[in-house]
Amino acid sequence: MAGPPNTDDRKVTSLGELPQSIEPPHDLWPRIQAQLGDIRAAADGATPAQRRALRMRWLAAAAMVACVATGVWIGRSLLSGMPGSGTAPATASHGSSIPGVAPTALDAAYVSDPRYQQQRAELVRALQARLARLPPPERDKVTASLQAIEKAKADLEQALGHDPSNALLQELLVNTYQDEMRVLTDVHEASDPGRGI
Amino acid sequence: MRIGLGLTGALLLLLGATAATAANDQIFDRQVPAQPRGVVEISNVSGNIEVSGWDRSEVGVHADLAGGVEGVEVSSEGGHTSIKVRTPAFSGHGVARLQVKIPKDSELDVSAVNADISTSGVLGVQRLSAVSGKISAEIAGADTELKTVSGSVQVKGHGQPARLRASTVSGDVHLEHGGGDIEAGTVNGSLIASLDGVRSVRAHTTSGEVRVEGTLARGATVEASSVSGNLTVRVGADGGYAYEVSSFSGNISDCFNASPEHTKYGPGSRLEGTRGDGAGRIRLKTMSGNVQLCDRQ
Repeated sequence: MAGPPNTDDRKVTSLGELPQSIEPPHDLWPRIQAQLGDIRAAADGATPAQRRALRMRWLAAAAMVACVATGVWIGRSLLSGMPGSGTAPATASHGSSIPGVAPTALDAAYVSDPRYQQQRAELVRALQARLARLPPPERDKVTASLQAIEKAKADLEQALGHDPSNALLQELLVNTYQDEMRVLTDVHEASDPGRGI
Repeated sequence: MRIGLGLTGALLLLLGATAATAANDQIFDRQVPAQPRGVVEISNVSGNIEVSGWDRSEVGVHADLAGGVEGVEVSSEGGHTSIKVRTPAFSGHGVARLQVKIPKDSELDVSAVNADISTSGVLGVQRLSAVSGKISAEIAGADTELKTVSGSVQVKGHGQPARLRASTVSGDVHLEHGGGDIEAGTVNGSLIASLDGVRSVRAHTTSGEVRVEGTLARGATVEASSVSGNLTVRVGADGGYAYEVSSFSGNISDCFNASPEHTKYGPGSRLEGTRGDGAGRIRLKTMSGNVQLCDRQ
């Protein structure tokens, strides 16, 4: 009944009883080398889905770079058109929306809501005719007020150009936009025959 | 001789024209019954409108009409009285000076184009608007809304709690003895208010000066802002107040030796602190306007 001793069952009582080295039952390296070769070959001849994923990654990276570049370009071109920067605003050459004042280049950039822009454009378009209905001294006063608002907007936008995240300036700019709309609406209603404000 | 005749002729023409003008002036007087707490509506294009409250249950209208005014329509029905100055269609010319007496608790609604409006002794709600006329109102404890484009607004209160909204585009706003809740705004006019136990103030200008003085009720709030106008707030309050002043490039000063903090990032300069128990709150903001805060008048 005696057989070869079972090494798994044999109790080791000291480190010295352990073998110095254990040889694997067979050479593992050829299989590892073969698998590495498969991976390299797959990369060279990737499937269409893999190639598409790779291309998308490149496109995403390119889009990010393009976005950053566009942002820098917009920032530079708008800031360079702001009052006090030495060059005229890009839109100034098209004439003023409000009598006696130049439009600011950042109007569209800061307030992009189309409904606001449409309402403002309609009020500004009718402004000249509405102002003409006011008596000359009143017309001068209202024009001066509109100029004060335009100047405030330009000053705030210029300051925001230097400190874009300034919450105080942002709040005052919002107030000023609201004031402008209020004035435009008041003038519109005030010169409405038979209605008044 | 010829010169003498010419001069005499010119003089006669002038006298004739003056007489004709005087003859065109009309005096209009009318009284209609009205409810003590009814609504009175008045409209006039040019001239002025003076409204005063009285103890009678009727509306009295006295008008001085000139320059082609067609007449005055007065109607009263179901607690609603209407007074309208009729001017020739299309021309709109003509001047009417109206003196209207209304039951003192009436609700008053006045609209004018180029006419000054003044009210006194009216205790009910008032809504007064003019395009280029000046508005002068005496207010009591009821809500009041005053609006002009180029005219100024002058309000006399009695410190009674009420809600007041006053706005003008290019005129000034002056308030005496304001109480309750006040909201006022102008673009480039000045905004000057004396307060008498007010609960809240919101004042805003674009380039006009804001000056607020007086006393606040306990726990009151004051918020004032301007882009380039100066803000001066000299108010005391029972229970004190917490204050927060910020300006991008304006100077901040105070009368209690607190020093504003200058920040590289953020508003520019900032002053924060508390007076007394800090029950109320004051927030003042400008871009380039100077700010002065004091808890003494």
